[in-house]
Amino acid sequence: MASTVIGAGITIEGEVATDDDVIVQGTIRGKLNAKESVTIEEGATVEADIVGGAMRVAGQVTGNISSTDRVDLQPGAKVVGNVKAARITIADGAQFKGNVDMDV
Amino acid sequence: MASVTVIGRGAHVTGRVTGAVDLEIHGRVDGEVTIDGELTVEAEGLVAANLSARRLVVRGAVKGDLSAVDAVVLENGARVVGDVRAPRIAIERGALVRGYVQTGSASAASAQRSEAREAAPRAKPQAAAARPAAPAARATPKTQTQARPAPVAARAPAPAPASRTAPVAHNSVLAGGAPTKSATLGAGSAPPRGGPPAPVVPVLKKGSKGALKKKAG
Repeated sequence: MASTVIGAGITIEGEVATDDDVIVQGTIRGKLNAKESVTIEEGATVEADIVGGAMRVAGQVTGNISSTDRVDLQPGAKVVGNVKAARITIADGAQFKGNVDMDV
Repeated sequence: MASVTVIGRGAHVTGRVTGAVDLEIHGRVDGEVTIDGELTVEAEGLVAANLSARRLVVRGAVKGDLSAVDAVVLENGARVVGDVRAPRIAIERGALVRGYVQTGSASAASAQRSEAREAAPRAKPQAAAARPAAPAARATPKTQTQARPAPVAARAPAPAPASRTAPVAHNSVLAGGAPTKSATLGAGSAPPRGGPPAPVVPVLKKGSKGALKKKAG
């Protein structure tokens, strides 16, 4: 259970920084920094640079994604921005535009 | 879970938070929070922001103005520095508040309304204070007038008050003081309790006289 949930219908304009998990179902504009896993659920809108641990993206992200662990773009995800992570998966049906950096 | 938003213990949000669902704050929020729903600042929450919600419950620390469409509830452990405005405000035992607190219709948008409200509550408490005072004033004379005739019959046979006051008289007699003075003193101390002095004095006099005669004889 993630300790921070940005529910559907919530809009945060600014910076969100957390030491633990984040689930985003609503809207974030600004920055999103997490130390643990980040989940961008379907219907969520993130217009922000995202830094965190393992990431699962099923919503819409406009911004750069940087993960210390892995990034999974799931079907229905729409990502515009650069993705930097050790492991990256892009599922069939995910929309993506940007650079991929896998620390090779 | 779906409709509830939680800003977790380790989270720090800087900026504006808006929305139409319930929000729980366990972490830190700096900026502004406007929610059309229930906003709860939990015990470990630390908020430096103006909070606006339909219903606002605070158990943690808030520095900023609070306003609610429905109600503001400051529960035990709440520490609030800022103004509080809502139709209904509850400040429970253990909550700390420093700021201007005002109940009344919400949507404290226009300054004119707020000025009118500032003037209105001042008049209302006076009227409210006057209303209870008047019935009390009416009631007390009635009870006094009703009580006066009754005690003459009721208190004279009643042994309890006489026996309580009697030892005082005895002591004063033993000490060598004037018994009549002690009786009048006892009568003087009695009226503030019950009100009517007239029936009390004869009862004491009777007892004290009897005691005097016995002692003298």
